[in-house]
Amino acid sequence: MSLDFHEQITMLSNQPILLCYHCHKCTAGCPVVEEMEFGPDRILRMVQLGERERLLKSRDIWLCAACETCGTRCPNGIDIAKVMDALRLEALRSGVTPAEPDAAKFHKLFLFVVQTLGRSHEASLLIAYKLWTLNLLADMDSGLQLFVKGKVPVLPKSIKGRDQVRRIFLKSAEAVAKENLPSANPASAQEAK
Amino acid sequence: MAIPYFPGCTLSTKASGYDRSGRAVAQALGLEFQELPDWQCCGATFPLSTDNAMTLIAPTRLLRQAQEAGGQMTTLCAICFHVLRRTQNFLQEHTDVLERINWFTEEPYLGQVRVTHFLELLRDQLTWETLRANVSQPLKGLRVAPYYGCLLLRPPAEIQLDDPDDPHILHECLEALGCEVITFPYQSECCGSYLAVSKPTVPQQLAQDILASAQHHGAQALVTACPLCQYNLDYPQQSVRGWAIKPLPVLYFTQLMAVALGLPEQVWGMEGHSVDPRPLFEPYRATVA
Ligand code: SF4
Ligand code: SF4
Repeated sequence: MSLDFHEQITMLSNQPILLCYHCHKCTAGCPVVEEMEFGPDRILRMVQLGERERLLKSRDIWLCAACETCGTRCPNGIDIAKVMDALRLEALRSGVTPAEPDAAKFHKLFLFVVQTLGRSHEASLLIAYKLWTLNLLADMDSGLQLFVKGKVPVLPKSIKGRDQVRRIFLKSAEAVAKENLPSANPASAQEAK
Repeated sequence: MAIPYFPGCTLSTKASGYDRSGRAVAQALGLEFQELPDWQCCGATFPLSTDNAMTLIAPTRLLRQAQEAGGQMTTLCAICFHVLRRTQNFLQEHTDVLERINWFTEEPYLGQVRVTHFLELLRDQLTWETLRANVSQPLKGLRVAPYYGCLLLRPPAEIQLDDPDDPHILHECLEALGCEVITFPYQSECCGSYLAVSKPTVPQQLAQDILASAQHHGAQALVTACPLCQYNLDYPQQSVRGWAIKPLPVLYFTQLMAVALGLPEQVWGMEGHSVDPRPLFEPYRATVA
């Protein structure tokens, strides 16, 4: 049986989304709300209502800076940054084109990184995604070139350390495939249930 | 006393001035940083989704290195600190995830490392009194505004460094250096974080608000513990036209410490800043004997 969207996001984020009574405190303090289409409390309402399409296509999920201002203030202890992360993950898995074009650029870069690591698989994609997002900053003004050329010390210096990291990537990728952990393909994830 | 130290990617590249001044002041205070032997990127974001624990592998590999190095580690980068402390908390609570990660890494992490931010070490181990006693060039009359940002403080239940609504740790550090410390309303507002990459206009607007508020309250400089905040607040001042504020240097707390401890200019690490902070320190230069 497949979970409905609200249950799925609740599980992924481990947050009591239904507790939100829309007091708007989160939205009032969100630093990027002016750029958003809906803002954090309406995003939660849409999750409650199961508006999957609109949410996954929304630019808001890519604009959230995970600053935790909202989570720190919410009277019901809802950590909205976690809900936003769950929505981003779901969007990536469903192959929805991100509403923010530069987020899409990121996405391509991760794919590149993953390919250079040897295998394009979700586990390594996600690791690469997390590993590499912020490190673009290390060489921001000279563009992505240095980064792509491997000038940023993201990996260990020693050959041994690099080999170990590569082994871990591949091993986790295999485990994900074998154990049918949530996969990049929503169709196969549904079948598995 | 030697302290295992994790510099992280940003401090090895863009924020090398933070690294250099940090190592120098630690040494001057008798806390020698011992770089972890074979580190890699910490992951730079703490995975927030529940089934995303794989991304904890990277920070766990670092915790394991700190375990080998004696059971503690310190960082200067607020982002690395945030990721490592949350990972440490998470693994302590979720031993099943820890077991699984250990199966991947084949090098067991026992889950007991103490992760600190260098500010915490100064406050809790060294103490502000000792810091004050080591100051040879008190920064008397220098009006600085601590800027805390997000990741050093939030979420407070997990980070447990300071009160997110009324933080003091940077204030206390700067007071010990003799500065006149200014509290301003934007001290823990978000700088826009990694939107600097995907949507730079957002952090640029936030930076203007933050800088204008600090300036309005009389600050001559902003002081941070986060390389991303430093970048977001400093860099646009040079690259973006038409801002209605005067240039305001954005410094790392370790840089002010280096000046106040009378360390030579080579270790201040202030060359790479968009707004050159060095003129501020003319009156406080240690006279070479
Ligand atoms: S602060 Fe909490 S309860 Fe209030 S609207 Fe936001 S999420 Fe809902
Ligand atoms: S965590 Fe995201 S939604 Fe919450 S206040 Fe920060 S940017 Fe807004």
